[in-house]
Parts: sequence; structure tokens; C-alpha cells
Amino acid sequence: MNAAMAVTEARGLAGLNPLSKIAAVLPAMVFVALTTDAWAPLSLAGLALAALALFGGVSVARLLRALAPAGLIVIGFLLFYPWVVRRELVAHTPVWFDAGGWMIHEGAVFLGLTAGLRIFAFVALTMIFNLTTDAHDFARALVQQARLPYRAGYAAMAALRFAPLLRHELNVIRAAHRLRGLGDAGSLRDRLDMFWRTAVPLLASAIRRAERAALAMDGRAFGAYPTRTDLRRMTFTWRDAAFVAGFWLMAALLVIVLWQLGLLGPLAFVQRV
Amino acid sequence: MIRVEDLTVRYPGRRQPALSRVNLTLHDGESVLLLGPSGCGKSTLALALSGLIPNSLDVDFGGRVLVDGVDTREADVAALSRRVGVVFQDPDAQFVMLDVESELAFGLENLRTPPAEIDRRIDAALSAADMAGRRYDKVWQLSGGQKQRVALAALLAMQPQALVFDEPTANLDPAGARDVFAQIAALKRAGRHTLVIIEHRLDALMGLVDRVVVMGEQGRIVADGSPHQVFDQHFEQLRRLGVWMPQVSLLARRLGARPVPVTLDEADELLRRQMRRAGAPLVVQTAPSSCNQSPSPNPSPGPSPEVLSDQPALCARHLSFRYGSRVALDQVDLCVPRHDFLAIVGANGAGKTTLAGCMAGMLTPPRGAVFINGADAASLSAQALARQVGFVFQNPEHQFVTDTVADELRFSLRRSELPRAEIEQRVEEMLTRFGLAQYAGVNPFTLSFGEKRRLSVAAMLMRDQEILILDEPTFGQDQHTAGELMALLRGLHAEGRTIVIVTHDMALAAEHARHVAVMRDGRVALHGPTRQVFSQPDVLMAVRLDLPPLARLARRLDFNALTAEDFWAVAARAEREAAGALAQAAR
Repeated sequence: MNAAMAVTEARGLAGLNPLSKIAAVLPAMVFVALTTDAWAPLSLAGLALAALALFGGVSVARLLRALAPAGLIVIGFLLFYPWVVRRELVAHTPVWFDAGGWMIHEGAVFLGLTAGLRIFAFVALTMIFNLTTDAHDFARALVQQARLPYRAGYAAMAALRFAPLLRHELNVIRAAHRLRGLGDAGSLRDRLDMFWRTAVPLLASAIRRAERAALAMDGRAFGAYPTRTDLRRMTFTWRDAAFVAGFWLMAALLVIVLWQLGLLGPLAFVQRV
Repeated sequence: MIRVEDLTVRYPGRRQPALSRVNLTLHDGESVLLLGPSGCGKSTLALALSGLIPNSLDVDFGGRVLVDGVDTREADVAALSRRVGVVFQDPDAQFVMLDVESELAFGLENLRTPPAEIDRRIDAALSAADMAGRRYDKVWQLSGGQKQRVALAALLAMQPQALVFDEPTANLDPAGARDVFAQIAALKRAGRHTLVIIEHRLDALMGLVDRVVVMGEQGRIVADGSPHQVFDQHFEQLRRLGVWMPQVSLLARRLGARPVPVTLDEADELLRRQMRRAGAPLVVQTAPSSCNQSPSPNPSPGPSPEVLSDQPALCARHLSFRYGSRVALDQVDLCVPRHDFLAIVGANGAGKTTLAGCMAGMLTPPRGAVFINGADAASLSAQALARQVGFVFQNPEHQFVTDTVADELRFSLRRSELPRAEIEQRVEEMLTRFGLAQYAGVNPFTLSFGEKRRLSVAAMLMRDQEILILDEPTFGQDQHTAGELMALLRGLHAEGRTIVIVTHDMALAAEHARHVAVMRDGRVALHGPTRQVFSQPDVLMAVRLDLPPLARLARRLDFNALTAEDFWAVAARAEREAAGALAQAAR
């Protein structure tokens, strides 16, 4: 039993109840969605990354890989947003660049930057959950703490296993079809045909797999009783409480400091009102 | 005790029942081998024994199955799971969880076992399955054999009385299969469970089986008795049915030795006795070297080695290939001469299929690494590749792209310059040659497994390709359809084509291949004439492979033989020598 404890008592964020991680970051995510300035999303993203660095047990390389797409989005917004933004929103700001009627206002660049940063902050906050949570622990927590019917929870868990297997199968089918010369013509009709020809064997094998998995589960008394016992209880301990409270507190502190410094900017709903 | 009474099962949408009025009694503690041609309803019977049919699958059900007097239709899922457990063929399809501990806990949690008891039983089941210390491993990190052990442990934890194994080694390499058989042997020794085994690698299993039940069409039971009774008295019938038989039994029949042995020990003893009686007391023993020049160095009727031209048909040079960061092939060098028959063997994940895929152009190899008839595969167009190389996938369904069998063949020629009449003629020809003429208008997906396989080979040969590569060509087939396919391949080889097969079946490689390439961890560990490769059992064992049963028998008898034909040649020579000696003595 000692070894079992060691496993459930995994290090840092990975050892927390998945639901408490969601509870910790959710208010910050809602707040980020409301911000219009750059500092708030930037500092909340910083908070998330700091939490990951301190308690995440996630390697820097993995973190960077996970964040790379969000980083690209920030750059993308920065480059393209200024061209499509409504002119009247930014007309009052200085012009940075003027190519015969195509003007880029400072405000447009700023709007692009804040939009990109909001998304970046969003992604960074979800990483606290994404990078440190075992999918099965999440399903367990949903069943044990959030009162999800266990049949749904465990069926979803079994389905999770299918995704990589079916992806592999799809690749094999595609390779087989390529080898036979299907899909080397580009017409729309050919492409539709190709889609259909791939879908049939994939579907057939997905159904077969699902049936086999269902048999294997039934063979081990799945659904025999309205409830089941759990070897590993997902718990809500003082660690969870401390993490949720700590994260809320830090986020609130950051927001208050920014507000005091006048860096918070107007919030979306305040603006509208 | 399990009683099957007048059991009839019909799947919805099928006209013919899968099982029709089957009667069978299984006694406690018995270990029973279920044999039958593919499609005879073995798996259906396995599901019916466990109660999953009719409780979990929607079928037309007649008759009844009684497990310890309880009708499976009336028993609840919880009770059934404590009586009969099933280990399925595909180790990946039967897992629900991602780690070993959760997988074992799953069934017990469903039965509302208290956590402390679950914990205790997990440890007990893991040590019973020889997997102690693996409790916290992730399932995907395990080898195929270990996965099957975990599947078994998960059932053992629920303490059922009977265990059904439905082709547990079909997806495993020889070492994985050894692993599973060792486990079944341990269960047999412990003697607590009734064992029902569906399997076709029989030679390793025969020592563990008390009883063999042979099923024919629709599960009709055609033979039932001890292994000796069944394989000796029903031999011809079994051969007609096309079921797998132990290699040593087939050998004994070929040599006309009776009673038919079923295990290696028995075959050993029988052959020694036979030779002594022939008056040639193991003469061959002293002259194993003469076997090297035996008249059939390889029974394949293909062109003799002199015909092999200099230009290799396929050649890999320093070929490396990776999937993402995983290295699948690491500096592979392998040349396949024209008109060769090569078997690529190796453990699961050793890179066999990747190598075959690179050679067939299914995967794009790096430049200058794969040559097809001397041309760099990376620079050949898809069309040029398809004209020269045919590739047959392990699952034939994957390569079907049309709605009828004839269209499937026509499709291969749709980009060719041939006139219509000629295409039609070629389609006709191939349909006849591959025994598919009667199915010309049928949807490929509705064919039987053996027919699907033949169709996939035919479709890949429509352009008269010189090189044919097949991935696990006999997977999932019975002896009859597998034999048919191999005869077909030998015919194609005799016409001068180059054949490459990827296989786990050592006996298949020993019997048909001219050369064997052994893969290990993305490298070619050994490549040479079949005989030479199989004369190095230590190397084979080290790379998770095995000697084929007949080669093992030959080693025990101390002669140099690999196939039944070799044994035949040795026996014939021994007889001649004995006759000569007798004649001399008479003079």
C-alpha cells in the first residue's frame, strides 16, 4: 500500500485533484477574457508559468513546445490584425506606417498585441491543467467528486484509448490507398471518392474495436451494480485548498497592483456599460 | 462444469447461423483445445461459454449454456464474470485503462470489492501471472506477451473458475507466444482452472492439452478426444477441413509413421524407433554434413541460384527511417537478388514492416537509400513504382477501393495504356487464377478472410509486377487457406518473380523462403540462406524468435533438417543405405 500511496501522492501539480486545478485557473481565465490592455494577460500568463515552473515538474523543453503554437498566434495577430482592424477604432492614434492610403496606426498594432496576448494567457493558464493531469485521474475525479455517472466516465476513458489506435489505422489505410493510386488525381469528385473510400474501412474497424472493447468491459462485470468501489480515491486535501486559495490570491494581488499602477485598462463589460 | 446444449447462434443480418445445435460438456480442471477452420464459430462459442453471448451481444440464440448448473441467460453479469473469463486475441483491444494497476482494479471495482481486498488481489494476480513488479507500469510500455499476461492477471484477480483463451498469441512474436504458453502451462500445473484454448501454434501447446475438440461448419463437432485420438484417427478429416495441426503430426504422416505423435518428445521417440526398425540405426546421425548437399536445398521449385542476376531487385543501403523521434530503421543494408524468395523475420517493433514499406514505396525513403531494379526509389514516380512493386497489406481490407471484386482488379489498370478488351481479358484471367471468378460482382468487404487475401494479392499483380512484398500473408488464416496462398506465391516465384514476405511464423519462413533476414531494433542482425539462418538458434532466441518445431526436432535427432521434405529425403536415404547394406550382406 505504501507504494500505491507514493503514486497517488505524485509531485506538485500532478498530485492535485484535477478539479481543483480547474477551480484555481477558471476565475483568472474569465478575467483575461474581459481585459483590453496588455499588462493583465501578460502578468497572469506569467503567474501560470511561474506556478508550472515551481510545482509543475514539467521540463522547460516540453513547456516551450506546448506554448509554441500560442506564441505563433501572438506574432500572427501582431502582423495581421493591424490590416483588418476597423479604422475608426484607431484613427485617433499616431500613424506608424503609411503606404499610399494603407496606414498602420499605433492603436491597431496595440489591439493586435492585446488580442494575441489574451489567447496566450488563456493557453498558459490551461497548461496548469493540460500538462500535469492524467486523463484517467480527471475522469475519476469527475465520477467521484463531480457525481458524473460512472458508466459515462469509464466509457469515455475507454474511448480515449481509441484515438491513437484509429489515427494509426487511418495512416495505414491512406498509405494503402496511395499505393493503389487512389488520390493521385485532384478533382473534387476524386477527393470525395477518396474520403468515402477511407471512411468505410476506418468505420468498420472502429465499430469492431468498440465492440471488442465493450465485450472486454462486460466480461469484467462493467455495469453490474449501480455503484462501484474505487481503489484510488481522488481526494480533496489541504494541498488542493492551499493551491486554489493561493492561486486566487496571487491573481487578485496582481490585478490590484496593476489597477493601482493604472496599467489595468478598461475591462470589456465596463467599457460597454 | 460447463454444459452446452443444442446451442444455436445467428448474428443479425446473416442468413446462416454461426453455430447450429452444438452440444459439448467441459469438465472441471480440464484443458481443452478448440480447433476448426476459420469462420467455423470458435470465437462465437468462446463468447457463449462466458455468457457474453447472448447477454452483451444482440444475437438470435437457441439452446442453452449451463455454467455449474446456472443458465447463462439468467445469470447476471457480475456472477458470470466470476465464473468464466476470456483473454482475447488483440492485446490492445481488451484494455480499458492506461496502467497495469488500474486495469487489474477495474473488474474488482465493478464487483464492489473493498479497496483493501482489491489491493491484496492485485498483488496475488500479478505474481500468479509472473508480472509482479509491473504494477505501476503503463500498459503501452509492455511487450505483446506482457500485455497478454496483464489481461490474464486482470481476469485472475476476479477469480473465475474457467478461462477461455481466444487466439492469445495471434498478434505476438515467437517470444511473446512462448511467454503466453509458459503462463498457460503454469495455470495447468496449478490445476485450479478449466482452460479452453483456441490457438493455431499447436506444437508448443500440445503438452498442455488434455482434450481436443474439432469443429466443422457452423460449429458442428466432428472430432472430440485426446490429442492422440484426434490427430491419429481423424487425420484425413482434419486435413480436409483445413485446420491447423501440430507440425510433428504432419511430419509423421508424411513419413508414414504411426501412431501419429503430437509433441516433440513423442516425435523424437517415434522417429528413433522407426529408424532402428528400418535397420538403419540412426545412420544419418553420423553424417549430417551430407545433408548440406541434399537434393533439395530448398524445396521451392524456383529457378536455380545461377539464374540470379547481378542487378538486385531491391536494395537498401544505409537506410534509416524514423517516425517523429522514434528510430524505426537504423542504417539497414539489405539486398534482395532478382528471383529471390526472402522472409523478413523479427520481434514486434523490430522494423520489419517499415523496411518492407520503404522497399515498396509505401513510405518515402530518403534519397539514395532504397533502389528498385537499380533505380533510386525516392526519385521514382508513384506510377513507375507501382509498375514494378506490388505490396500486400496485413489487413487486405485496407487496400480495397471499389465496390466489386472485378472492379478492384480493373482499378489497378485504370491508368495503363492497355486497350479495354485486353484489360477485361486480364481481369478474367486473374479472377480464374485466384479462384475468384464466381465473386466477380460481389462487394470485396463481404468475402471471407482467405478470399479477401487472394483478392488483395491479385489486385497487386494486375500490372504483372516483378516484385511482390507481403506483410504477414498468412495472418488469421486456417491451414487450408494459408497453404493455398503459399502455393500461389510459390507459383509466382517459379515464374521468376521476386517475393518478399514479412512474417512471425518461423515454420513458414523455413518452408518457403530461400533467404531469411532477421531484424532486431531497426537493424538487420542476420541475413543469409534459410538453412544457415536457422542453424543459429542462439541468435534467433536472442532476438525474440524461435526455431520452427521441425528444426527443433531435427536438432534433437542430430540431423540437419528444416522441413518435412528434408526429413523425407533423410529417411529415403537411410532406407536406401539400409537396403544396400542388406543386399551386400546377402551377397
